[in-house]
Amino acid sequence: MENYTKYKLKGSDELAPFLQEADQIFVVACNKCFKEFETVEEPDLDAFLAMAEAQGKTVIGSAKVDFLCNKTLTEKQWKDLVPEGTKSVFAVSCGLGVQTVADISGLTTYAAANSLNYRGHHGMALTKKACDACAQCYLNVTGGICPVVDCQKSLLNGQCGGAKNGKCEVDPDKDCAWERIYNKLKEQGRLEEFLAQPVQTRDYSRINHKVIQDYVKASRENRLDGYYGGVHPSENKEYSEHIPLVRFPEPETVVIPLSQHAGAPANPAVEVGDYVKVGQKIGTSAGFISANIHASVSGTVEAVEPRLHPTKGGDVLSVVIRSDGKDIPDDSIKPRENIEDLTPDEIVNIVNENGIVGMGGAGFPTYVKLKPGKPIDAVLLNGCECEPYLTADHRVLLEFADDVICGLKLVMKAVAAPKGIIVIEDNKPDAIELLTEKTKDIDNIEVVSAKTKYPQGAEKMLIKRVMGRQVPSGKLPADVGACVCNISSVKAIADAVCKGMPLTERVVTVTGEKIAKPGNYIVKIGTSVNELIKYCGGLTSDDVLIKMGGPMMGFPLPDTEVPVLKSTNGIIAINTDSTTPVECIKCGRCVDVCPMELKPLYFQKYADEGKWQEMLDMNVRDCIECRCCEYICSSKIPLVTKIKNGKAEVMKLLKK
Amino acid sequence: MLITQIKDKEAIASAIKGKIFIINCHGCKEVHFPETQAKEIEKEWCDEGIVTGILTTDYICNPENLALRLEKHRAEIEEADTVLVLSCGVGVQTVAEYLGNKRVCAACDTYPLPGGQGVTPLEYDCDQCGECWLNLTGGICPITACSKSLVNGQCGGSKNGKCEVDPDMECGWERIYRRLAQLGRLDVLKTPVHIHNFATDLEVGKE
Repeated sequence: MENYTKYKLKGSDELAPFLQEADQIFVVACNKCFKEFETVEEPDLDAFLAMAEAQGKTVIGSAKVDFLCNKTLTEKQWKDLVPEGTKSVFAVSCGLGVQTVADISGLTTYAAANSLNYRGHHGMALTKKACDACAQCYLNVTGGICPVVDCQKSLLNGQCGGAKNGKCEVDPDKDCAWERIYNKLKEQGRLEEFLAQPVQTRDYSRINHKVIQDYVKASRENRLDGYYGGVHPSENKEYSEHIPLVRFPEPETVVIPLSQHAGAPANPAVEVGDYVKVGQKIGTSAGFISANIHASVSGTVEAVEPRLHPTKGGDVLSVVIRSDGKDIPDDSIKPRENIEDLTPDEIVNIVNENGIVGMGGAGFPTYVKLKPGKPIDAVLLNGCECEPYLTADHRVLLEFADDVICGLKLVMKAVAAPKGIIVIEDNKPDAIELLTEKTKDIDNIEVVSAKTKYPQGAEKMLIKRVMGRQVPSGKLPADVGACVCNISSVKAIADAVCKGMPLTERVVTVTGEKIAKPGNYIVKIGTSVNELIKYCGGLTSDDVLIKMGGPMMGFPLPDTEVPVLKSTNGIIAINTDSTTPVECIKCGRCVDVCPMELKPLYFQKYADEGKWQEMLDMNVRDCIECRCCEYICSSKIPLVTKIKNGKAEVMKLLKK
Repeated sequence: MLITQIKDKEAIASAIKGKIFIINCHGCKEVHFPETQAKEIEKEWCDEGIVTGILTTDYICNPENLALRLEKHRAEIEEADTVLVLSCGVGVQTVAEYLGNKRVCAACDTYPLPGGQGVTPLEYDCDQCGECWLNLTGGICPITACSKSLVNGQCGGSKNGKCEVDPDMECGWERIYRRLAQLGRLDVLKTPVHIHNFATDLEVGKE
């Protein structure tokens, strides 16, 4: 593997006069990029310190920094790194790092290294491939061999005539690029076409640096908008976003797992042979962090036994009900009157009793969130739906806007929040328009349109984007005065409070390029995923990846004979990918995109080396497993798997 | 790291022959990939019925993973007369080399991204000249901040602090002067005249 680190320490002769004049020196070294990640101990800082010492200079402090040119991250840690009284800084880095430091520190900054030019190397993989970014690609007429880079003279119209035995006259170790081009085109039978080409001229004005600069500026602003990091995967929402909700036909049998939420599984409240009605409690909450489970059909309990669970990776105790097709509601289900008179505690109790959990994926019992024990400044209603493909929340917003607003008001009352904010990503303009219209007369509810960026729907990102507040490491939204609720969850709260209906059905998007007829369905909890896929016309190919949830955070389903859960927002059938992980090349993109401002490249290294303490020290527990790092990884390393494994090991370490 | 722009439709049309297999590389999409434009133009080709398959993937400059991914599309690639690649020049060459005698064409032009040797696209420019001047210029690069890349002070052509080549651009040497004055380092301007070494990168790399 090639090493494309961009700097090389300057010689002591050159640095001597600068060292001589400098006082109160602080040295910062960049941990390099674009080289195989073999060591965390790059030698250049020590080499420089030795140079300074040999000259009798005292250095008052030094530090190694990852990706020094990353201004956002470097700026944040700068104050803690630099000792008081520092008068000059030596940066062991490429020119980008030096300029970043000069800008941030405002101190005299010296470059201790020269930047190296690997002209022609712009790809991410550390291969010998070459592209000079000339802005007028010639590869179409040269059989895919670049004349600008591969020919020493960058000739565009054939060989110079100086090659001997196929070797370049400038560098006899190099093959003549034009001979290579000729041979390749000959093999492809394209010689005639090639020789008939008009003469090519290189247009050096094609590269308009100003346009590019402006582009870079816009791109940076876009990247850092709202919160650090994040990615923009292809949205692919067009498959289903405009398809109205349809009620999925009554399933013959439902399999309702007693664990569909974070925390303890519910205890079964029915036995085989019992007749149950829709909304009847069949599982009782088993603790503070747990939730009740209700029947989604009327019929007979066929079994109470372990069944395959879609997301927990194994069998989980489930209640199997054969539907009688009559859909008879339980006697307890009655519309509630005088909703305005409900006290906050009564609302919380209704939410708890009706088994409502976070329906965005995590399944955290909602009633717990509604008892924050701290003052809440605002309830954020999370309508981002930032996962690609999924359109369930989008449809709920459009078709149940009044229920959503009602639910939001109830949550605001429960947590005594003076304000409600509905946050919708700007890729759903119809929903923004509708909700803005519906809330225009409500003083304390506001609709915010947020620029699309994944993972905006993650609580901490949402709070930062909308309220500008940072949830500290290990803390909860309530600690910064925020309560975040999912769209479908507040709709469920409205149903529970107003109609007395427990959480027994939800909206599921069934989509993906491998689904014959994508759509959005109102599905009873416990319905088989397999049935759902069949109903949507089945799969268009066997080579498919099926996931419960979105492509980023969803769970792969090797077996589709599993039930829809309270937290199932989508079933997607998408193209498969085949890759193999290669070595980390410190391209730094994982650091660039991590919204929690972590350094995932270290996690994969430490996970491989079993260094759990180091992983803990790098705050691995702050990782929200959004998979941005894995998505962007140029070496295709399964970072999240390694991080999850690391978290488990770190927990063991902490228990000791 | 670089940015790509789709070539004119006519330019691409003249390069492709017969049926096409399309490869979109989204590896550097967070930096730039003309996704909307690409989708539009690909849809047109699909409607014309000349597309045998489309592979949207990332980092095709990584030959190992490129091979794994192309394998699944063997038949579609064989059926095509041209493999059209929407990526930077590195990606096109990786595909061309892997597919040997297949006709591989580039649908994009590749532009350099200043400051792109770092990670995020940066506002700082470094031209990787191989002889860093920042020690003498208060940390502002004269190669990139001055439109003439002068290394011994201003040309004298600036008006009201603006460059004579590009009136929207601040004179790099005025910026340097101000920064040095701020740092109390105007004395560095008294250093002897410098000569820019234009050695090729190959020569620099071999040192």
